[in-house]
Amino acid sequence: MLMTADAREISQRAPAQKATRDMYIPPARKKISGGGTAHISAKEFSVYYDEFEAVKKVTADILSKYVTAIIGPSGCGKSTFLRAINRMNDLIPSCHTTGALLFDGNDIYGKFTDEVLLRKKVGMVFQKPNPFPKSIFDNIAYGPRLHGVNDKKKLMEIVERSLRKAAIWDEVCDRLDKNALGLSGGQQQRLCVARTLAVEPEVLLLDEPTSALDPKATAKIEDLIQELRGSYTIMIVTHNMQQASRVSDSTMFFYEGVLVEHASTAQLFTNPKDPITEDYITGRFS
Amino acid sequence: MNIGTRKILDRSFTALGIGSIVVMAIALLIVLVPIITNGIGAVFFTGTVEHRKMLINEFKRGDTDKLAEEIASSDRYRSTVYKMLTGFEAELDRMPPEKKAEYKEKYSQVKPALQALLGPLPGDPEPMLTRFKYGQTRWEKAEEKLHDFLYESKWDNSNPNVMSKEYFVSRALGFEGTTLAQLFPYVKENIDHMLLPEFTVYWGFITDSSVDSHFFGGIWPEIQGTFFLAVGAMLFAFPLGVIAAVYFTEYAKPGFFNSMLRSANSTLAGVPSIVFGMFGLAFFINTLKVSESKSVIAGALTLAIMILPTIIRAAEEAILAVPKTYREASLSLGSTKWNTIATVILPAALPGILTGGVISLGRAAGETAPIIFTAAVSVGSAIGLADVFSSPTPALSWNIYNLASEHEAASQIRHVQYGMVLALVSIVLLLNLSAIVLRARISKKLKG
Amino acid sequence: MADDSVGGNNRTNAFVISARKRAIQKVSKTMGEGMLLAVASFVAIVVLFIFYFVARDAVPFFQLRGFSEFFTSSNWYPADQPGQFGALAIIYGSLMVTLGSAMIAVPMGVAAAICLSDILPFSIRQYAKPVIEMLAAIPSVAFGFFALVVLAPLLQNNGGPMLMWAWWILVSPFLVLGVLVVSDLLTNSIKDPQRRRQLYAFLLTVLGLIAVFLLYKVGTLLYGIQILTGTNALNVSIILSFMALPTIVSVSEDALQAVGRDIREGSYALGATRAETIIKTILPAASSGILAAVILGIMRALGETMVVWMASGNSSHSPEPWFNYLEAIRTLTATIAGDMGEADQVTGSARYHVLFAMGLLLLVISFISNLVSERIVVRQRKILSGQ
Repeated sequence: MLMTADAREISQRAPAQKATRDMYIPPARKKISGGGTAHISAKEFSVYYDEFEAVKKVTADILSKYVTAIIGPSGCGKSTFLRAINRMNDLIPSCHTTGALLFDGNDIYGKFTDEVLLRKKVGMVFQKPNPFPKSIFDNIAYGPRLHGVNDKKKLMEIVERSLRKAAIWDEVCDRLDKNALGLSGGQQQRLCVARTLAVEPEVLLLDEPTSALDPKATAKIEDLIQELRGSYTIMIVTHNMQQASRVSDSTMFFYEGVLVEHASTAQLFTNPKDPITEDYITGRFS
Repeated sequence: MNIGTRKILDRSFTALGIGSIVVMAIALLIVLVPIITNGIGAVFFTGTVEHRKMLINEFKRGDTDKLAEEIASSDRYRSTVYKMLTGFEAELDRMPPEKKAEYKEKYSQVKPALQALLGPLPGDPEPMLTRFKYGQTRWEKAEEKLHDFLYESKWDNSNPNVMSKEYFVSRALGFEGTTLAQLFPYVKENIDHMLLPEFTVYWGFITDSSVDSHFFGGIWPEIQGTFFLAVGAMLFAFPLGVIAAVYFTEYAKPGFFNSMLRSANSTLAGVPSIVFGMFGLAFFINTLKVSESKSVIAGALTLAIMILPTIIRAAEEAILAVPKTYREASLSLGSTKWNTIATVILPAALPGILTGGVISLGRAAGETAPIIFTAAVSVGSAIGLADVFSSPTPALSWNIYNLASEHEAASQIRHVQYGMVLALVSIVLLLNLSAIVLRARISKKLKG
Repeated sequence: MADDSVGGNNRTNAFVISARKRAIQKVSKTMGEGMLLAVASFVAIVVLFIFYFVARDAVPFFQLRGFSEFFTSSNWYPADQPGQFGALAIIYGSLMVTLGSAMIAVPMGVAAAICLSDILPFSIRQYAKPVIEMLAAIPSVAFGFFALVVLAPLLQNNGGPMLMWAWWILVSPFLVLGVLVVSDLLTNSIKDPQRRRQLYAFLLTVLGLIAVFLLYKVGTLLYGIQILTGTNALNVSIILSFMALPTIVSVSEDALQAVGRDIREGSYALGATRAETIIKTILPAASSGILAAVILGIMRALGETMVVWMASGNSSHSPEPWFNYLEAIRTLTATIAGDMGEADQVTGSARYHVLFAMGLLLLVISFISNLVSERIVVRQRKILSGQ
């Protein structure tokens, strides 16, 4: 594991830097250079809506550059946990947290955290594709413009690079000035991924990104996740267990706000330790 | 009740509901149809040679050579009339005194009737008021005046239990046996040779200023005044309203203070329009002294306060209709809250906000009561942009009232009043129509 | 490339900022929100100012003349020396046209709202809505002009026949229905179908004849009426009802829409006809919302200036007898509009201040009714959402 001096320094400050080592990486997947350190770590982290504890004292490490899936029945707190990572829960006035959620060793809910800068580092793609009612170009350029890129040529570069990374460049390169709402659902969702990539985040949060898409579009998004694996730390919330097993390296299973099990995907799906996990993945409840 | 009666009742209930909607549609038609048909008459009408004479004299527009020809041709017929008049006057002098007094009294009614029809007679002194310088400029008015000339109107009061009735007596009968008796059939026969009626399209009605308190000319000063007032009101109310709506939708936290603000908004929406006018007078003019007395700025401020609640409500609705996902997407890309509002939410809500704005603009243009004490004058010329801070202006809404209710010859200039009403109604309805179109485009745009 | 910028070598703690920067952020955020709040409270300040400035100029009147004359006397001679300021007839005139327009607009408006929310299919509703919007958009001065120039001469010249036809058209359907229902109800208790049918037919003929006689008699009575002036309370009430209709229709339609589908379905399932469902279940559920609509509509009529100023005749005497809608009347709004021109030359005189007293009266009435209707709407929403 190669680490620069700078990164080592940070990881020494971060107490939970040692990652879960029993991770299984399927051989078919391409090797990841670097990564494998704890990028995000939760310590006794809880999220409340008023009195209700939606996420209960979660302790876990998310490895950098790997894909982590979060599964669990509806209302188990998996989305809330994901949205806590880039502080999207701030939109709900009654929401507050306890415990620590560290990103590169710094507390996300710390006093001196600027959530705007945080969200630049932690991008998010939502359940329903949500492009702005603007042109495709303006959609992608929205983020870079926010962060001070105004040069037309440079913007064009970023737009092309992001669209290529999101594997949608070939489909839209001739109609960048058209309204993004004219694209199909699957294309819109890949556009949203591209839009997120354009601000060059380190972490990509995907909140059930395929739940509103048909199987073909879903396959494309899954391929895309495989493409991006190794370049970004990816977390994906999904209802679909096959999807979790297809795309992720490790899987977290939430039940009633508690992180029941967190293990490498292969192990969790073939040999779950907890009986509830087993009941869930064998379909006894959902 | 048996089932048959119940069914009949059910059907008649449906009929009642549909009937009341139909009655509303009919009411709309009944109001609009006379306004439109008569209002169009202000621009399209059968004009006489007097109209063309007026245009050249007052507005320097028209074909001078053709007019000279027309005047010459009409004078050929008119000169006979004038000859008859002088002939009769000579005859009058020769009459015995008691007969002379009788005819003189009758004759004194004939001359003004003829002047009203044809304009000043040769030898008359130059009239002071422009309205007396010309005969009838519109053919349908000329026909009315011809009737007045031919017949004397009398009232039948014989039955005290019934309202007295009007009836007409031919003037020609009164002059039987004199030379003047021929005058009446002659004028009746040759009136179109004397006035030369011709279909006229007078666009100047919209672009000309008025001459002699709307007897002639157009309504441009009123249109411009309405424009200044409505746009001025929007300049104040629109930014304020949108900012307040942003506060209410994005920042306000539920609580006592906030519900107070909302109550204030609906209270303001319910204040009678005349009270806004009193407030404008008492506050803007008498207390703040934005101007010496009435002025466009005072009127615009008053109107702005009046339309503010409408704009706030429309903007609030439009902002709330923006999908939550846009907000999330923008924030997740590292945008600040303010930036999200400015670059994503407001642009997406813009058509809705504009719809509300356009409807309010129409309301500001059509409202009369708030400007009575603050901005409106009855007669006046179009004012320059620099004068809006100091001088009042005529406005369509106010002048419709003024011409219809307070003008000394309100029934003489019905066509001008109708024209003004049509202009105002079309401005307001066109604004509303564009609001409807805008609204249709929003849903289309949001669907992609 | 992104590959270089993320991963182990480039992890920065860029999202953590210094305490100073944080403080600056906080202050600027508070300031920005404070400015927005200031703009938003502008409306509240304006409302307070309106109350203050109207009251400020109204109070001197009551100081000069006391309360009793204004509210109890009908002698309105503001221009005399000394002036008399009895506003009772004027207040009564306002009341009269408001009531008159409500009598026309409320049944029609509620029926139209029911029709829009429960009866018409969506395709027709699309065309009905713009009609209502247009009716709401037409400027009041245009309505006033219509009332003065078109309706007033019509009423004055053909008042009797118009009243007769209005009576026939409006009342005859209800009489027919009444006859049917009464005959049905009276024969309901009879068991023997043969006798019942006979009695039903008999009642139908007798009641029908009475109804026809009533129609004819009242019709001829109305035909004989001579309307002395077309600018009267009836004219104004008709036009004001057109102006109040859009408010009543749209607010009560909202109230009706708020009543859930399940209530309707429950009633239909018990074998009720549509009319019975609407009258017995939906209207009671929506009644408070409809009441709010009626209040708002009435306020529109009470606060309207131009129509009454142009077409009410502006006579400051109470009509004789008190319910005579065919006489000229005068309202508060028209008095303010008409007298201010002469009165504001002499700021400080009772003549100027009495107009502000009238304005204050209007303002207080509108404030109270707004508050009441708002409360009603909020309460209905709470009840319907089951809280």
